[in-house]
Amino acid sequence: MSALLEVDGLEVDYGTARALDGADLRVAAGEAVGVVGESGSGKSTLGAAIGRLLPRQAVVTAGTVRVAGEPVLDLPPAALRRLRGQRLGFVFQDPIASLDPTMRVGNQLKLVLRAQGREGREGRDGHDSGGGRGGRGGGINADVAFHLGRVKLDDPRVATAYPHQLSGGMAQRVAIALAMAASPELLVADEPTASLDSQVREEVLNVVFSLAREEGTSIVWLSHDLPAVARRCDRVAVMYAGRVVESGPATEVLGNPVHPYTAALARSAPAAATPGVRLEPVPGRPPVLTGPSAGCAFAPRCPFAEDRCTTERPEPVRVGTQDVLCHRAAELEVIA
Amino acid sequence: MRLLLWWAGRALSSAVTLLGISVLIFAALRLMPGGFAETILGPFATPEQKAELAVRYGLDQSVFAQYGHWMAAVGTGDFGTSMISGQPVAAELWARLPVTAQLTLLAVAAAVLAGVPLGVLTALRARPGGGGVAGRLLSGLGVSVPEFALGSLVVFVVSRYGLQTSGYLLPAAVLSIFAISATARTTRDAVLNVLVEPHVTAAVARGETPWFIVRHHILRNAAGPVLTLTATITAYLLGGALIVEYLFNLPGIGSYVVQAVGRRDYAVVQAGVLLAATVFIVMNVLIDLLVGLVDPRLGRRA
Repeated sequence: MSALLEVDGLEVDYGTARALDGADLRVAAGEAVGVVGESGSGKSTLGAAIGRLLPRQAVVTAGTVRVAGEPVLDLPPAALRRLRGQRLGFVFQDPIASLDPTMRVGNQLKLVLRAQGREGREGRDGHDSGGGRGGRGGGINADVAFHLGRVKLDDPRVATAYPHQLSGGMAQRVAIALAMAASPELLVADEPTASLDSQVREEVLNVVFSLAREEGTSIVWLSHDLPAVARRCDRVAVMYAGRVVESGPATEVLGNPVHPYTAALARSAPAAATPGVRLEPVPGRPPVLTGPSAGCAFAPRCPFAEDRCTTERPEPVRVGTQDVLCHRAAELEVIA
Repeated sequence: MRLLLWWAGRALSSAVTLLGISVLIFAALRLMPGGFAETILGPFATPEQKAELAVRYGLDQSVFAQYGHWMAAVGTGDFGTSMISGQPVAAELWARLPVTAQLTLLAVAAAVLAGVPLGVLTALRARPGGGGVAGRLLSGLGVSVPEFALGSLVVFVVSRYGLQTSGYLLPAAVLSIFAISATARTTRDAVLNVLVEPHVTAAVARGETPWFIVRHHILRNAAGPVLTLTATITAYLLGGALIVEYLFNLPGIGSYVVQAVGRRDYAVVQAGVLLAATVFIVMNVLIDLLVGLVDPRLGRRA
């Protein structure tokens, strides 16, 4: 099966700092994949690279990104814009800042819908790409109301409000409506709920996941919250020091982690704790790479590390249902 | 109600500013060496002649009394008469306004039409680190070369080679060098600030074209500082582009006031300065209103 998203051996440097050190990721059509890692693990860089939205100072030194077979990093500008407009959607961390502060919400949505109306003709297989005009009369204002309604914003005042007049949760739902207006095949959400309180967080996630299911949109959800990701996603990819160290079905990765880092992460999560049992933080600090890691980047913090872990880069091995970057994966699985 | 209060506050603070300026200019003129009598009568005038002149123009009274008279007259809309020409100052200034206004209009139009696109282009082409050096050097030069130097050079070249030019073109060009450079630079910085905002990244992520993003998401966001600068330049030039008008011998407000300073024509200088200050203050209020309209976040605060 050809995947919708294929990231292979991606390496990205910011000046002398290495953000991605050979990251691999596969996402199938319609699948929800959670990418989990600490701050600095490279998950945001990975997310940005999917749409070639890396900051200017970022340099891709190796690797490929393919979306529906198209080489994202090598596309000419017009083809790249078409890919972004039709196949990809992005939702960012700061909801209010990701909306144009000088424009009313409804007008921003209209702008996006009109732009799609123009592109829609060369769009894909009649799949409602004409700005959502399929079968709903009533012109552009009705379309705006429809798209806001899809993200559970039914109050008509939202359309005439400016972004700074909205709450964070409302603004993020507007951003989701904007990103989903084109019915993209893949939605990349970079910690979309990081700045929201827990009640609103659940509502926003419900909106994202139900809308994506409706549209058949795949999700790449970048987060640092392993249990939350595992609850909603089909698969989970755990990142450490710019590499995906373990990926597999969500329940397996959380319940039967193979990589020592995943195991440590699972033990340190408050949500997974048994009352009365002390939480175990992962000892040590994540490394800051300045070049390719010589061996396994987790080795200095790993209780199972042996000599070759510091000198030899681990290659992915299949353990049960998971792909794991660990020299001792097979033995550790037995221990677990 | 809040709007009314805001206007009342603005009006009050403007009045206080104008009052302060009137005191300053009045005092500065009296403190200048040499007086009206010396200028008019020449160095060989007798004390009696001077005294007679002083009485005729009320200059024998105390400075405070003179200021009081002036203010009382200004309060009724009477800016006094020119002590040189004997004409009402208001009428003389009014007659010279069209010259200054045309000059201002030309320079500001050039600044907006050339400066804004230049600023947007250089911002879009800017690369982190190097690059854009030539642009920055040019705009730096444009901002820092003084008008009198550039103006003198232009006058020299034109007269030396006997070129024929029509009225306002050259002086407007000299003024617009500064205006264009300053506008381009401010636009560039404003656009660069907007470019790094997450909502622009979001627009790029939606696959919008660069031109579309500039038109819909950047211009409005970057307009604040540019509007402020444009209005400031307009106010500055409307108050009289002193040096350039003088250099090119244009009968505008600026050259009129400069001449009046030389002749110690107190009423004219005072009125000219008050006019310039008023234009500045009114312009600033207009900017605040305009910027509030363009950027709703700022509008709330006002």
